Amino acid sequence: MWRTSLRAGCRGCRGFGPKGIWGSHAVRRCSAPAPAPAPAPALPAGRITARQAVDVWKRHFEERGVTEPDNSSHYIIAHLLGAKTIESLEHGKLTEFLSREKTEQMWQLCTRRLSRMPVQYVIEEWDFRDLTLKMRPPVFIPRPETEELVELMLTDLEMEPGAKVGADGQRTCLEVGCGSGAISLSLLNSMPQLKSIAVDQSQDAVDLTRENALRLGLQDRLQVYCIDVLKDAETVVSLCSPVSALVSNPPYLFSEDMTSLEPEIFRFEDHAALDGGKDGLKVIKQILTVAPQILTNHGRVYLEVDPRHPPLIRRWVEANVEEMHYVETRHDINGRPRFCILQKKKSNKDHRLDQD
Amino acid sequence: MSRLVPFICCMYGRVTWRGLPLLTPLPPGLPRVLAVGKKDLVDFPVLNEDELEEQFVRGSGPGGQATNKTSNCVVLKHIPTGIVVKCHQTRSVDINRKRARDIMREKLDVVYKGELSEVVLKKKEAELRKHEKRKKANDNLERKRQFKEALAADSKPGSDTV
Repeated sequence: MWRTSLRAGCRGCRGFGPKGIWGSHAVRRCSAPAPAPAPAPALPAGRITARQAVDVWKRHFEERGVTEPDNSSHYIIAHLLGAKTIESLEHGKLTEFLSREKTEQMWQLCTRRLSRMPVQYVIEEWDFRDLTLKMRPPVFIPRPETEELVELMLTDLEMEPGAKVGADGQRTCLEVGCGSGAISLSLLNSMPQLKSIAVDQSQDAVDLTRENALRLGLQDRLQVYCIDVLKDAETVVSLCSPVSALVSNPPYLFSEDMTSLEPEIFRFEDHAALDGGKDGLKVIKQILTVAPQILTNHGRVYLEVDPRHPPLIRRWVEANVEEMHYVETRHDINGRPRFCILQKKKSNKDHRLDQD
Repeated sequence: MSRLVPFICCMYGRVTWRGLPLLTPLPPGLPRVLAVGKKDLVDFPVLNEDELEEQFVRGSGPGGQATNKTSNCVVLKHIPTGIVVKCHQTRSVDINRKRARDIMREKLDVVYKGELSEVVLKKKEAELRKHEKRKKANDNLERKRQFKEALAADSKPGSDTV
């Protein structure tokens, strides 16, 4: 069983059929020929303990230049033994012998990691704030910085009553570029009175978001649509009833920075979820252009961006989107400017229902 | 304000916790111990973020979308006391940050309140309960023993039987 997974390395731009590594919709652009997959250490003949398996693979990852060799083997063994982290494993579990089946699974999963597949794709799940989400390539893996985006949104939304829209008095939020659904689902989970709409140009992302919503029992408060905001803004505007908040972690990397990405990202994650064009602002600008048509008066936009963006966005909005006011820039845990908050000014020509 | 605030100033100046004015001497005694112990976390110190230094291992890379690292260990330092808390209990940085602060609150509670800190109080309460349980068990055994003796005395020859 474990031998077949040796093929799980990067093979250039081919998927492996409809349910292949990257699914049928991913379009990959690899600038270099894919390296041959590294051979895995031999499956042990006798029994080994979990600790021994971890040590074997940690050493092997180090020898093969696989980044985060200890974290990788730790997360994989913990997952196999039913825990999230190696620290939360029952005392003594690591010194127990692994069953034959578990040993083979360890070898299979670690071999995938040898190909530089991100750990989150190897174990097919990851945590975002207090949620566990299913992960699947090439859908973008949520980053820790984005947890902070949710935190600051929640603080904002809970503080000011804001415009209540909809007959039932529930607040609605729109997410552009939902990926695995991390942001929307986290907001819904923390705010029982919130309803959300999530859109993504990738069908894989839409499918995964719906799957995660179902797993978390949040599907009743979330609508997910496959729409490209760059090509089809009118549909976004017509589908979304006026919303009081718009949130996005849009592709914001500069095109020229794409080629220096680590293999974990370059080979496995959807480039369309990363590449924001020459100045990284392609999708951001479109979102801000469309925002006034979607937001209620005083409704807010929350964006995660590249650290170079905040002053550029402020200047651009002041010159090009008269209805939007740049409120503030917030920093991430590493002290980098990371989040932009903007607000729709009250508009006299807004004919939509709003209370303020 | 200088970050090198002496410990003693910090205690009376900037750290407060709910319900207990710092400068009032706390009356000792059993009733207070039990009452405080019953409510979890109510009397832990409130953290002042200005006094905390937080480090998160994310590498020197650009971060954000350009990085995918799974290391999410959070290191929290309380500058006035020098206490350092490390947390990598979960796979979420956000949760680790919150937990690190919870642990920091517990540690500061011990430092500031000593004998009256939650950790120490809980321990005392547990010991008290254990002691009472043991006493009760021994009392029961003693009563049973006396009862048996009384029965044995009744059934001896020479005593009246109906």
